[in-house]
Amino acid sequence: MKRRNKSSVFAAIRMAARAHHVLTVGTILCVAASVVASLLPPLLLARIIDGLTAGLPLTLWAVLAYFCSLALEGVLSSAQESLLVLFGQKMTHALRSEMSHKLTQLPASTLVDQNPGEVAARFSGDVDTVEALFTSGIISMVADACRILSIMAVIAVKNTGLALILLLVLPLFAAFTRHVQRRMLAAQLDNRRAVAAVSGQVPETLHNIRTIRALGTEAYMERRYDKRIADGYAAMERTNFYDAIYSPVVLLLNAVVVAIVMLLSASGNATVLTLFGMSVGTSVAIINYISRIFAPIESLGMEIQTIQSAMAGVKRIDAFLTQPERTIPGERQKAARGDVELAHVTFGYGEKQVLNDFSMTVHQGEQVTLIGRTGAGKSTIFKLLLGLYPPESGSVTIGGVPVADITDRERRTCISCVEQHFARVPGTVLDQITLGDPQITAEMAKSAAQLAGIDTAIRALPDGYDTVCSEGMFSQGEWQLLSIARAAAADPAVLLLDEITANLDAETEARVLDALRRASEGRTVLSVSHRIYENLGGRTVEIKIL
Amino acid sequence: MKLDKNFQPDRIGSYFRLEWLPLALVTVSGLVYNIGLLATPWFEGRLAQCLADILGGSATAAAMAMLVLAYVVVTLVVQAARFLKRFYVRRFANNINRRMKGILYANLVRQSRAALETEGAGELMTKAISDVDDCVEGMRKFTTEVFDTGVALAGYTVMLLVYDWRLALLCLLFTPVSYVCAARMKKPVQREGAAYKKAAGALRAATLDRAQNAATYRIYGCETAREQRYEDVLTTYEKTAVRSNVWQSALPPLYLAVSEAGVLFILWFGAKNVLGIGWSTWDIAAFTTFLSCFTKLTVKASKVAKLFNSVQKAEVSWKRIKPLMKLPKEFAPLAIPAPADVKLQDLSFAYGEEPIFSGLTLTAHPGDIIGVTGPVACGKSTLGRVFLCEMPYGGSAQFGQREFAALTPREISATVGYLGHDPELSADTIQNNVLCGSEQDAMPWLAAVALDGEVRAMENGLNTVIGSGGARLSGGQAQRLALARTLAHPRPVLVLDDPFSALDRSTEDTVFANLQAYAKDKVVFLISHRLYHFPQMQQVVFMEDGRTTVGTHEELMAAAPAYRQLYESQTGGQQHEAQE
Repeated sequence: MKRRNKSSVFAAIRMAARAHHVLTVGTILCVAASVVASLLPPLLLARIIDGLTAGLPLTLWAVLAYFCSLALEGVLSSAQESLLVLFGQKMTHALRSEMSHKLTQLPASTLVDQNPGEVAARFSGDVDTVEALFTSGIISMVADACRILSIMAVIAVKNTGLALILLLVLPLFAAFTRHVQRRMLAAQLDNRRAVAAVSGQVPETLHNIRTIRALGTEAYMERRYDKRIADGYAAMERTNFYDAIYSPVVLLLNAVVVAIVMLLSASGNATVLTLFGMSVGTSVAIINYISRIFAPIESLGMEIQTIQSAMAGVKRIDAFLTQPERTIPGERQKAARGDVELAHVTFGYGEKQVLNDFSMTVHQGEQVTLIGRTGAGKSTIFKLLLGLYPPESGSVTIGGVPVADITDRERRTCISCVEQHFARVPGTVLDQITLGDPQITAEMAKSAAQLAGIDTAIRALPDGYDTVCSEGMFSQGEWQLLSIARAAAADPAVLLLDEITANLDAETEARVLDALRRASEGRTVLSVSHRIYENLGGRTVEIKIL
Repeated sequence: MKLDKNFQPDRIGSYFRLEWLPLALVTVSGLVYNIGLLATPWFEGRLAQCLADILGGSATAAAMAMLVLAYVVVTLVVQAARFLKRFYVRRFANNINRRMKGILYANLVRQSRAALETEGAGELMTKAISDVDDCVEGMRKFTTEVFDTGVALAGYTVMLLVYDWRLALLCLLFTPVSYVCAARMKKPVQREGAAYKKAAGALRAATLDRAQNAATYRIYGCETAREQRYEDVLTTYEKTAVRSNVWQSALPPLYLAVSEAGVLFILWFGAKNVLGIGWSTWDIAAFTTFLSCFTKLTVKASKVAKLFNSVQKAEVSWKRIKPLMKLPKEFAPLAIPAPADVKLQDLSFAYGEEPIFSGLTLTAHPGDIIGVTGPVACGKSTLGRVFLCEMPYGGSAQFGQREFAALTPREISATVGYLGHDPELSADTIQNNVLCGSEQDAMPWLAAVALDGEVRAMENGLNTVIGSGGARLSGGQAQRLALARTLAHPRPVLVLDDPFSALDRSTEDTVFANLQAYAKDKVVFLISHRLYHFPQMQQVVFMEDGRTTVGTHEELMAAAPAYRQLYESQTGGQQHEAQE
């Protein structure tokens, strides 16, 4: 699938529709066929009744045709449902893939700033509303509109007068429907607010129980709770009223329209009969059609509502998909191996400048500790080396290759980092080390675990490396060792060591430091940890606060 | 809501009994509506017949006019009954919901803090309250469907049997067939549903992983691999979602088509009836009515499963709620005792094995303000909570002649006014927070804590809503509002835990002066880490490392160097700027 730079929800969906063009066309055809099929049964029935009125015996074919038309209606409506589900799922799949890919394209600063919960909500809830927008919004709306039009067309042919009456009545009915639905929506919002107040009182009571007890206000709290529920019901009673009144009004209207048509067609007046005259069979069909025309109008109102509320979701996804992207480097010939060099680097976060014309070289195989006060920019140097942020000016290179040119694929073999806090990812213990990277074989992961001194602990687990990871499975020190295994797994040329977790007991800390020493052997190492420096030695570089 | 003594909250029947009036209305209107529903097919048949008669010349337009008028009037009556039924079913459900939640809440509010926190009763009851919605929804659906499905089905069946019992039995054969099909398919439908739910869970987890660990994957260059994994999860999700939804939404129209197969017989044998060569003698009206009646019956019959589902769901949630449904005990009215001395004799306290303080002896008379202070974590707050008797203490603490531990919880509420660290405000108006339903004026209490001016300046004054936990107030405002609430509920013993920590010095001075006037007939324990007002207090308790020293301010200045140091560091040299 070809990726575009500029994307939006509709572009993604258009692409999905094109990729599954057979399905798209099939869905449209099926919807159309189902509309037509729903017109058939009353017409066939009209013919049967006309025949009977004339005293003619029924043919087996007529009976079968009528039943088949009913069955066809069922089968087609079933097929329509299925195809809509399939189409909707293909669309959401494409949209989610697009968004997942977008996440890869975002610059590190955006990744750090975003709220994971909110991003997840874009992926789940908002995508679902977009699906609803299409399947139960637009497509259903078109289908319902077609249904109304086709029934009107049949009625116009069979009983022109009725069509004229309906042309008068239906717009009024549609307006009434929208009015009721708007009122219901408003009442529902009120009700939801009241429900939130009711459910809010329970945790509040749990929190305030000491005060409630001390003041002896239990009875007051009970009354208050009851009053809040009552408020919610007052709002609900309004929805309740509209809900209860709507269908009776529809059916009464239905009866009135039937009454008028029957009366006029029975009038015997020649001028009236040019418009309303019909056979007995047709009258049965007409009664049937009238009862079928109100339902789609009611759905039409709901569909308008669905579309309105889904547009907010579309906007939010669009905002996500149009965020500026990072530049992805292409493949290179030259390997990024050799000295690590920062030359005349200036960098800051927004207004706040952290590094100004800073230069430093670490030779291949050298072990260097950065020292300086908190906020001097030690971890900023790590972020620059990892290519998470581009410097404002100057260059950051490994073996002469700018770190921005290191591709994601080769990154882990060039430079890696032992993080202070282990970020546990979902999956097995093996996944913690490989992070799902296909370049790292199980063998490589296991030897990294041996290097980090966590191999024995992992083998002791019920399923060894295939044990699914959970929160309390390892101690803090063991997570730190796992972090070392993760960094060393791809055998990186440069290793960055963040501060090691505080609060380790002496024995565990010794194990961690041992593992770090083994992992550092034969690599270029940059560290910011004072404890590691005391243990491993090497050169120090001081970073001064600006 | 007042409850009868004989009301058994753990019996579902009790709730139905209490709601007899809406239920009676539902029954009457439900019967009228569902029996009246039979009129529609009957009228449709008569209308067609009448038209046939007019066209054949055997009737006049006047007959049609009468018929049409009757049709509209009957529809009006039937639909009015429907309106009443729907309206009262909802009201019935709302009332039960409200009553059940009220009972659960009353039980919740009677729990002790310890039960709520340590035994997880809070979580249990919160869950139960949300279960009520499911349970009552099930009861509502059941009540609705008994009429809309049960009565209507019976009515339609009887009508068909009356018209031609042989044909009726023949065409109704297919409805059970469609049920058997549905029952057969239930297993795969459930299986696919479960797979779909599982995949949805996996997708949720994978999405959160992509968002949460994005920076980690970036550092290790694994994003493309993760993207591929996510794609796999998406594919699984798509497959299961399609399968589950297709099973669920595609089958019902097919079942309906199966039960509609009865139409074949109706047309074939019905036509014979009309032509006078069948089992019964029919006119066009009978033919049309029978057909229309049958169609309506099959649609209703397809909804029977819904009835059973809703009952099942309600049963499951009721089972969870039932054990918690106890009749709440009535509260005795608070009898505020007359002022009396508070005597502490070798008072000590320990959390399990761990001692917090010991050896506290003092006597306080009404009108005394006792200052309690000491370094952080010295046990000041624990001493304050001893008076609430949430946990047993050592030694003796007496109010007048009675031991605190011997008082009932209700008597403690009437004796001890307590204000902890946490203002524990509720998401309500300022007035309601101060008064908590008591009938008096809130303003004097707000004036006593120097909050009246700020409240008057607020847009809605006393009726300003302060947000969840007082989120719309500053820390100092919340603290003073909580103090006003405590003062508005006077008790002979008052325990205030650090009530001035977020106040500036001049406000603290005003509030303390007001407190002195207020406490003329009360014993006040004022726990504080700020000592400006300690010289004005009758006694001071200094706590350090589990030991307690009692005396006047002057005595402690002489006897306890740590106290002296604390006092001088706050008042000596530069005045400390208070933080608000």
